[in-house]
Amino acid sequence: MNPFGLETKALESRARSIRRRIIKMNASSPAGGHTGADLSQVEIVTSLYFRILNCAPDRLDDPTRDVYIQSKGHAAGGYYCVLAEAGYFPEEWLSDYQHDGSHLPGHPVRQKTPGVELNTGALGHGLPVAVGVALAAKRDGSSRKVYVVTGDGELAEGSNWEAALVATHYKLDNLIVINDKNKLQLAGETDVIMKTDPLDEKWQAFGFKVSQCDGNNIDSVVNTLENLTYDGRPNVIIANTTKGAGVSFIAGRSEWHHRVPKGDEVTRALEELSDV
Amino acid sequence: MSNAEHFANIMVQCFIEAVNQGVDLIPVVADSTSTSKIQPFVDAFPERLVNVGIAEQVMVSTAAGLALAGKVAATCNAAPFLISRANEQVKVDICYNNTNVKLFGLNSGASYGPLASTHHAIDDISIMRGFGNIQIFAPSCPIECKQIIDYAIRYQGPVYIRMDGKPLPVLHDAHHQFVPGEPTLLHQGKDVVICALGSVVHEAVEAANRLAEKGIAVSVVNVSSIRPLNRQALTVMLQGAPHVVTVEEHNINGGLGSIVSEVMAEKAIPASLLRLGVQDGYYAAAGSRQFTREQLSIDSASLVEVCLNLGQNEVNHA
Repeated sequence: MNPFGLETKALESRARSIRRRIIKMNASSPAGGHTGADLSQVEIVTSLYFRILNCAPDRLDDPTRDVYIQSKGHAAGGYYCVLAEAGYFPEEWLSDYQHDGSHLPGHPVRQKTPGVELNTGALGHGLPVAVGVALAAKRDGSSRKVYVVTGDGELAEGSNWEAALVATHYKLDNLIVINDKNKLQLAGETDVIMKTDPLDEKWQAFGFKVSQCDGNNIDSVVNTLENLTYDGRPNVIIANTTKGAGVSFIAGRSEWHHRVPKGDEVTRALEELSDV
Repeated sequence: MSNAEHFANIMVQCFIEAVNQGVDLIPVVADSTSTSKIQPFVDAFPERLVNVGIAEQVMVSTAAGLALAGKVAATCNAAPFLISRANEQVKVDICYNNTNVKLFGLNSGASYGPLASTHHAIDDISIMRGFGNIQIFAPSCPIECKQIIDYAIRYQGPVYIRMDGKPLPVLHDAHHQFVPGEPTLLHQGKDVVICALGSVVHEAVEAANRLAEKGIAVSVVNVSSIRPLNRQALTVMLQGAPHVVTVEEHNINGGLGSIVSEVMAEKAIPASLLRLGVQDGYYAAAGSRQFTREQLSIDSASLVEVCLNLGQNEVNHA
């Protein structure tokens, strides 16, 4: 079971705390950071680590525990903030994000950071590897579930769709794919660069069971995750999010794909994210 | 040859033995059930094979995921499609993540002959040498092949094995024991050192035998362990002769030719070096194995001529 099991209010508070960490951590990064992507997935990853995942820092060797794979590796910063708050490594490490010799590089590296399951950063790798982890669990008769968060721009990588075929063919209903659909990518709007819509129909055509949620609303995310059914088909949740969610001057702006707050921006962002 | 064995058959028997001994090994193929000759394994363990269809990228990634979950995963498909189509999956999911996956590059080199360059893997060693963590082997004969596969299955970490696509006879004696990192001296002579790997070692040995009849004493070094590699042991084998020739069904850049060049330069070995194989900027010719090798001057007859001319050139220069 999940070691926290937080309710909505506590999860919302936790999400704000994680956003504050993201702002401070990215502001002190010597090599920038993917602030927009970090912020868009906060409710998704917070809900997973503080309510849903059957996993804990002292159970990493347990073959029955759940696995979370961060496929959009560029959102490493947001991922690290969740892992630190969930106790996978000391919170002090966050101040070394992307510094020389840090435990926390700009993309996740499992050999460096406790809790990280897969080295990602090149896109289109998380889902295909998750398929292998889920398949192993099926073979072992394990109750393990495998969660993977992808971007929406990332879905242009064809390897995802190879993996989708395999997931359906092998009836991997222990696989839960979450698309952080923030509608923006490196160079602009996903709709303009390479449209993925109608995304639900694509997943359905590949044999997935499709749910949708407001990916920046804790209740919506948790309810969707907790009401999934497992009938032999893999699940996908299209989480409609806002890139940079939570900070008014970052939200929905593609220039924040790889930008960090500076000076007055830090203060303003932290004011918006205060608990009062 | 009557005692020749196909490496894929050896691989499958090693898999069956390993599972029978309790290794949780899962072969992963990309529609490559016939390429890998895997049917006896399927007959023995009907629920074990994973077939992802014609999709090399997800074949490699799935294997990585299986390994992360504690399985010994082994991908089995044609080397060119493994190396080139799934290049980033090999780099990231296998090598960078250091997953316990064994990559079998079947029908490597120009094994597919007339099927031409889409089906040739003449760049696999150079590509794998560019990646971290992974061990790299190229067996030359059935005994060595079995020993390398048995070692790889039990080694914890990524391994690439370059597998030839034609039945090959025994080259090493029955007492031979493969040791990771160690080159093997198959023939000893003071005039020329021929370094070879994989099936081409047979060409080198045959050439050495013919040259012996002509009074030319040739060393043949089988470099089946590309990483790890005991460079000091290779240095000792390269020393003493005035000429070194490397022979490979691979691009001369990045493969054995490069490895021997590096060692000779680093150890200041005073000998000429001739690198035979696919020359810089070319593909291997499409045709029968013999035709392709003649084009590359890596068949035994060409090697005899090359070595005789090496001596001739030296006389001429003197």
